[in-house]
Amino acid sequence: MGMPVTSVPAEAAATPAPADHALARIGRAVRSNRKAAIGTAIMAVFVLISLFPGVIAHDDPELDAYKPRLGLSAAHLLGTNQYGQDLFSQLVYGTRTVMLIAIVVGLATTAIAVIVGVAAAYLGGLWDSSLGVITDVLLVIPLFPLLIVISAYAHGATTVVMIISITATSWSYTARQLRSQALTLRSRDFLEAARVRGERRLYIIVVEVIPTMTSLIVASFLTNALYAVLFSSSLQFIGIGDPNAVSWGTTLYWAQNNAALETGQALWAIAPGVCIALLGTGFALLNYAFDEIGNPALRPVRRPRRSARRA
Amino acid sequence: MRRLTTIGVFIGAGLLAAGCSAGSGSGSQGSGSGGGKSTSSSVLTISNENGATWTCAFSPFNGSDTLVSVGFVYEPLVYVNPLQNGATTPMLATAWNWAPDDKSLTFTIRDGVKFNDGTPMTAADVVFTFNMLKKYSALDLNGIWSVLTGVSQTGSNQVTMTFGAPAVPYFYYLADQTPIVPEHIWSKVSNPVNFTNPNPVGTGPYAVNPCTKDNITYTANKYYWQQGEPHIKKVEYPAFLTNDAANQELANGQAQWGAQYIPSIQSYYSAKSPDYHYWFPPTVNVSIVPNLTDPQLSNVKVREAMSYAIDRGQVSNIGETGYEPAANQTGIVTPTFNSWLDNSALASWGNAYDPAKATTMLQSAGYHKGPDGIMVNSAGKKLSFTVINIGGYSDWVASMQVIQQELKAVGIQVTPSNLTNTAFDQALYYGHYQLAYYDQQTFGPGPYYELTNWLYSPNTAPVGKQAATNYERYSNSHPAGLIRSYAATTDSAQQHSIVSQLEQVMLSQVPIIPVVEGVDWYQYDTGSFTGWPTSSDPYAQPPAWAYPDNEQVLLHLQPK
Amino acid sequence: MRYALRRTGFFLLTLWAALTLNFLLPRLMPGNPALAMLSKFHGELSPKAINALDILFGVNTRQSLLSQYGSYLHQVVTGNFGTSLAYYPASVSSEIGGAIWWTLGLVGITTILAFILGTGLGIVSAWRRGGRLDSLMPPVFVIASAVPYFLVGMVLLLIFGITLHWFPQGFGFYVSTDKPGLNLTFFQDVVNHAFLPGMSLLITTIGTWILTMRNTMITTLAEDYVRMARAKGLPGRRIMLDYAARNAVLPNLTGFAMSLGFVVSGAILIEDVFNYPGIGHMLLYAVQGEDYPLMQGLFLLITVAVLVAILIADLLTAFLDPRTRAAR
Repeated sequence: MGMPVTSVPAEAAATPAPADHALARIGRAVRSNRKAAIGTAIMAVFVLISLFPGVIAHDDPELDAYKPRLGLSAAHLLGTNQYGQDLFSQLVYGTRTVMLIAIVVGLATTAIAVIVGVAAAYLGGLWDSSLGVITDVLLVIPLFPLLIVISAYAHGATTVVMIISITATSWSYTARQLRSQALTLRSRDFLEAARVRGERRLYIIVVEVIPTMTSLIVASFLTNALYAVLFSSSLQFIGIGDPNAVSWGTTLYWAQNNAALETGQALWAIAPGVCIALLGTGFALLNYAFDEIGNPALRPVRRPRRSARRA
Repeated sequence: MRRLTTIGVFIGAGLLAAGCSAGSGSGSQGSGSGGGKSTSSSVLTISNENGATWTCAFSPFNGSDTLVSVGFVYEPLVYVNPLQNGATTPMLATAWNWAPDDKSLTFTIRDGVKFNDGTPMTAADVVFTFNMLKKYSALDLNGIWSVLTGVSQTGSNQVTMTFGAPAVPYFYYLADQTPIVPEHIWSKVSNPVNFTNPNPVGTGPYAVNPCTKDNITYTANKYYWQQGEPHIKKVEYPAFLTNDAANQELANGQAQWGAQYIPSIQSYYSAKSPDYHYWFPPTVNVSIVPNLTDPQLSNVKVREAMSYAIDRGQVSNIGETGYEPAANQTGIVTPTFNSWLDNSALASWGNAYDPAKATTMLQSAGYHKGPDGIMVNSAGKKLSFTVINIGGYSDWVASMQVIQQELKAVGIQVTPSNLTNTAFDQALYYGHYQLAYYDQQTFGPGPYYELTNWLYSPNTAPVGKQAATNYERYSNSHPAGLIRSYAATTDSAQQHSIVSQLEQVMLSQVPIIPVVEGVDWYQYDTGSFTGWPTSSDPYAQPPAWAYPDNEQVLLHLQPK
Repeated sequence: MRYALRRTGFFLLTLWAALTLNFLLPRLMPGNPALAMLSKFHGELSPKAINALDILFGVNTRQSLLSQYGSYLHQVVTGNFGTSLAYYPASVSSEIGGAIWWTLGLVGITTILAFILGTGLGIVSAWRRGGRLDSLMPPVFVIASAVPYFLVGMVLLLIFGITLHWFPQGFGFYVSTDKPGLNLTFFQDVVNHAFLPGMSLLITTIGTWILTMRNTMITTLAEDYVRMARAKGLPGRRIMLDYAARNAVLPNLTGFAMSLGFVVSGAILIEDVFNYPGIGHMLLYAVQGEDYPLMQGLFLLITVAVLVAILIADLLTAFLDPRTRAAR
């Protein structure tokens, strides 16, 4: 899992506009940006798969019903694994668990990041310093080893343990970004106007500031969801998760345990990894697109077409 | 720009060059014949993953060091072959005799045996060894002093052991599992329990020379009492940290004697060379262990139904890739102990896999299938249990998945709870579980050893207290009496008859439900050496860690 | 100077936070992990080992939490992490000492290479905005940031190790044929075995460097002084390297801090795929073997290493960037 593709948080990155145009602006931007379009398409496919797995895959993913190590065929699109389970079904049903983790952790982490980031920016002073310190500390402590250790003490990372531990530890990066943006917004005119009007601080934060930060909040959600997917599948891959769960990471664990690569069952090991990469790409493309929307300097330069006319 | 590209190209080329040169340099090492130390075909290399580097401690009484010291450097009095029903080979003892009341056992010690430092071995060393175990109980790994009352020299080359009560099966532990150490060295050690013994002196075919944390080299003992032995003058025992590395070097031919679990062994290993072979002799049962204090599991019909509902062949094929054969309800491990199997009793049990019979049995016990497909009785109690399993044993987890699906088909719901090793042990020993999936690692020259663990009532304890081996809380004086009478006889026919009756107990009372048979992992390369134990010639338990059987293998092997 | 002091202060604070987290975690989790270990070994543990378990995990609740904390800090600061349970009776420090060189070598060399190559490619890509390299970069590396580390490792292993037999299929060296030590055969073998894991780590981490460098370059290239340099007619390469890149590298160095956490995660996963005998692999072994002292020791080591590296990067930034030196 690489670093998030967004730029180093730049203070002047946000281009604020009145709140009610934000969503419309996003919608327009998504449609016109090719990356966003592809990303949305990928996400849509996965969301559909996780909502209606039975439509696409006809077999129970856990049933050791078939002959082991069957090759690709119409009945078994990706063949069967050593236990006689249909690999395609495993991936399709696994989508559900992965999407669940991605969305729940994404939402929860983003919520914490918004609260911490915006509160730090607006409350200032001691609040800002202490929240800032906590954020920075969590930012530099290596998260994956921490998650491994937490899971070990919890005697295994079931889905619930994973959701809680990943949420509790990975909010700091996006919190920092949100705080930066909130800080730049503080001095904008429309907020000054609200203050002069006499609106309470909480009102300003919730009704004026947060809607203006929508694009960054959405980008944060995508980043956090991406990390949730990568962290949780990595934990399952190394064998800390629940081996009886149906998820891409657990399929990888079983493949690895049975030396799938060395024994001619490469698809068993590679296919779930490719799924993770695809889903991650969806999140990352959308994220990148949002970044470009927010920072026009990063937009791809279109080479001017040479006109047929010569001077 | 050009400068950057040039730099980039140089770096890339440099990396490739380093990679390729290293790659091709070691390419010949990799596939096919082993390179380096093992090219000479008279050096045997062992592939047994230890998970850690060697400590270079060789005390034959320390459980972590026995596998590198006993068999190589130390020998027992008699070699007893568990795979051939206790066939004996005299080693340091040439003869032995039980007294008529079976309360004393006399050994005649072999003459002309020397330790690897040239000192002669005598009966005094034998007496010293046994009495040292009495003095320091931490060294008594097999608990032989729980039955011995005395060991003394009763002639120039005779040693007599006396017992409080007849304990004939302990012959295995006394004669086969007790390595003899030199008195002139161990009597000078202030605390034998902590003694690391870095330069082991024994009567065995090899001496350690040298030991590093990465590898132990054994060289032939020039004072060894068997003329011309060992044929293999040098044995290497590398310290493998990961299973994968051990498997690969075995598959590459860099090691020839394996004790490895290899997934998909045909494609991973045996397909790579016609000289590569494997054999997995079954040793113990892997069983479903019910907690007999559970109100529903205390009903023998429920347990019988479970036994009939499980397709053991399927569990073996899917869960264990066919490596571990199906077990049977008598608890006799086949084909290892075929001669003990009461065929007529097993025949009367009928088809081992009979889901229809299972369903009928449950119905006769007052259960009917509820709307959710789970059997429920008139009081509303469902046949729904949790089964504890060791999460780290992926083949057990996979087997349990198959069992779960098969039990579901007859209306019994089991939910696996995959625990860590320690958590599992705690739950099992103290009885805090409903069902468990487990094997008892007690293998001996007959089914008596494992069956005793499961059936002997004094070995159990109530829930909340630690049970020694009888974890299912089985309490019945009849089998306990049978077991005691087995211990008091040396007559083979009587022993067989007692075991037959124990099999009847297993069939009629179903205290545990054997599912598959645990095996020894064993691979061997006939390209460089001959004389390996095989299924047609099981002269010893084959893995390198099995002692003192490994000595027998080492003595039989010859370079090609 | 004040910046340097601030960063050092932050380092100490984070170090303290990590130590305290390490102390609190096992005590907060349900069921004390060390209790189970004690009963498993029933009486076979040396008093030294038991004492260490006590201090590290708070088995003995006679002591108040505060005094336990004190003993714990003292123990950690003196480098005593107790006795390993999986490798009993070896001490945790000796076991870690054996494995750390493998990871240092792998991660150290790969990170340096990734930094150099990545920064270079990022500079070039930003300089030639709209060029082929630049339009290829973003989508390729967007995908790269989403690909799990282990997938890259597995694909490389499958193609170059298993199918083509160009490289060994894992581990650090050939155990049965090598004599570890300072000899050429061993060294060659180590490089041979390290190539695929190193490549995987390089491929997955380089994307970050390229992209961050590219983005900061782009921002820098929009600055006035660059425009001034262009107006003056300076040669392109000179502007790119001496004016823009030099200033763009510095924020990259701060980015190094955050990427290090990911490099560590990547190292753990890649060591798992290739069975590479480093500390990442040892951490997983410790978890599987419920060796809590070893796990604690490794976690602390990894955290401290990351923190120290970040501190060095921060201090280097302070040293190199005149703006921070002159600040306030």
